[in-house]
Amino acid sequence: MSDYGSEGGGRVKGLTIVKPIVYGSIARYFGKKREEDGHTHQWNVYVKPYRNEDMSTYVKKIHFKLHESYANQNRIVTKPPYEVTETGWGEFEIVIKIYFIDPTERPVTLYQFLRLFQSQANIMLGNKNVVSEFYDELIFHEPTSMMQQLLSSSRQLTLGAWKHETDFVDKEEKTLSAILAAKSKIRQEIAELNDKLKVSKEALKVLKDEISKAEAEGEEGKDAGIKT
Amino acid sequence: MTSADVREILEIELPEQQPVTKESLFSDDKKQKVFKKEKTFKKPQGMHREVWGLLFTDPRDAPPLLPSDTSTGYKQAKAKIGRSRVRPWKWMPFHNPARKDGAVFYHWRRMVDEGKDYAFSRFNKQVPVPTYSDLEYQQHLHDENWTREETDHLFGLCRRFDLRFIIIKDRYDRERYPDRTVEDLKERYYHISNVLAKMRALPGPEAKLFMFDADHDRRRKLQLEKLYNRTQEDVEEEETLMQELRKIEQRKREREKKAQDLQKLISAADNSDRRLQKKQPKKHMVAHKLSKGGATVTSGEASTTPDTTGIKFPEFKTSGVTLRSHRMKLPTSLGQKKSKAIEQLLEELGIEQSPMPTEEVATHFNDVRCDMVLLYELKLAHANCEFEVQTLKHRLEALVPGRLASLNLPASAAATTTPSTSGEAGGDSPGKTRKISEIIDVVGNAEHPSVRANLFESIEAWDRNTISPSRKRRAALEQRDIMKKLKGNKS
Repeated sequence: MSDYGSEGGGRVKGLTIVKPIVYGSIARYFGKKREEDGHTHQWNVYVKPYRNEDMSTYVKKIHFKLHESYANQNRIVTKPPYEVTETGWGEFEIVIKIYFIDPTERPVTLYQFLRLFQSQANIMLGNKNVVSEFYDELIFHEPTSMMQQLLSSSRQLTLGAWKHETDFVDKEEKTLSAILAAKSKIRQEIAELNDKLKVSKEALKVLKDEISKAEAEGEEGKDAGIKT
Repeated sequence: MTSADVREILEIELPEQQPVTKESLFSDDKKQKVFKKEKTFKKPQGMHREVWGLLFTDPRDAPPLLPSDTSTGYKQAKAKIGRSRVRPWKWMPFHNPARKDGAVFYHWRRMVDEGKDYAFSRFNKQVPVPTYSDLEYQQHLHDENWTREETDHLFGLCRRFDLRFIIIKDRYDRERYPDRTVEDLKERYYHISNVLAKMRALPGPEAKLFMFDADHDRRRKLQLEKLYNRTQEDVEEEETLMQELRKIEQRKREREKKAQDLQKLISAADNSDRRLQKKQPKKHMVAHKLSKGGATVTSGEASTTPDTTGIKFPEFKTSGVTLRSHRMKLPTSLGQKKSKAIEQLLEELGIEQSPMPTEEVATHFNDVRCDMVLLYELKLAHANCEFEVQTLKHRLEALVPGRLASLNLPASAAATTTPSTSGEAGGDSPGKTRKISEIIDVVGNAEHPSVRANLFESIEAWDRNTISPSRKRRAALEQRDIMKKLKGNKS
């Protein structure tokens, strides 16, 4: 590996590298309330790459900040799998901060609300686990040469299948189609409304002319009345 | 252990003794002197200390250590008599050059000043009133309304009274000459003096002319009289009229601004429309460079306008790492109403409030939201327009009843007035899929949007809640009258 110097080499202009990731939490009910500390659920919060690759090539560490009632509320994970497993009884927001190997890049913050309790739909479906998973993308805009090298050279992490709790492909399709449909519908509405507006404006103009005419006539009548 | 302590422990009550004082110990049989508290006057609040000191000195205060200096003061303790020689004075006559009759008066004077003229005669200044010869009069100063005698009389008075025109007017000989106002006299006098000055002007510096505009002066005096004669009611009325005028002007400015915004909106809507239409033919006409160029030009210009009317999303030009979801965040500059409208629309259309952020999704999501904002603004503008149409209709009815029916107004405007058609529209909408535009409750509050299904109903409700059209019409008529009154007052 060539020496990139402390700055990591210059920034590559005009280059944007996108790394999709998935982050979220899974929680499972014990079945009962544990006597000693009142914990009822076991949960796991994680950050995974969307594709099967090793994030540690460009990620230095991931910092999970838990609720202050947890001992060592700051959990730092330096190699995959980037996750924290704990037990608890309440829901709270976890702050996930991703630090990169390149020191010039600022860390990225994600917020994950830890869901423990099942929604009605989930209960009906009979799901044992409560999943709250999200897709996001890390956009590296004009990374340094060092970073570029690291980002392009990531290798496969595991040999087995790589899958996520939610079917993101399907979700993406559905979302996109819904949005596009909405877009065309709204455009249509806009066109219609525009026409209506034009019509109203014309009516307005006509009325204004009429009124000024009527006023002028009224004025003349008044003047005539005064003169006589 | 004192007896007091013992008494306390045993809790024996005893009449309270007077506390032991030095006097009680040392005094023999002398009566205890009770010092009568002398009355001291307290300095009243707000009065300065020095002023109070002038009025009242506390007798108990000690006298000042340094005696005050009495040498400088109004009353002289000692008369100052100089050592120089006495100057003799003499009773003598003196000559006053200011007098024309040559009277001789006497007074006491120092011998040194004998023979000198009266010192104060130099203050006898005369106003230089020009004189004219007969020739000059006939050549330049002739006037139809003024006879020679009258002009002479005027100038004589001017000389007598030092150009004090008010007095001159008063002393004017009304029996022989017609009644002249102050402006007339001034006009004549200044006209003559200017002509003479011009005539006699020495070559070199121009003569100083005093321009007198009689007309302006007359109007000015009339104005002053009117101002002076205003009653209190007049003053108050004027004040209210001025305020009304300011309000009217402000409203006019706002309306103009709204009209401008409207124009921008319509052009933006037109552009987005054009973009839609151009996108389809673009697929077919890939080969034609001209049309392609044209399409890209319009799309280029169209992309700029929706940015200004739609939402400006935070763009990341800086190098660094960001999340896609950042690009989809709504800016805080978007008002609460607009954000609420967007939320409602997204819900209705079955889109998550923040969908999964892939590149395509992000761009389309932002576009959709831009369009939603545009739609919302158009709705508002339309509602405003309709409202204005209503008010104007009422006004027209008031001015010329029956004229309205003769006009053939465009259909949409007519639809809002008749309740039957709105009922129809209300009946139709539950059957069909609800229009997006009706979902956004533009006019009312976003509290119960699902209740207000029909936009027409909401407009009418707004009518009732705010100023009713008839009142607006009356207000508009009043404004017109006020404007007329103000114009009348000024002239």
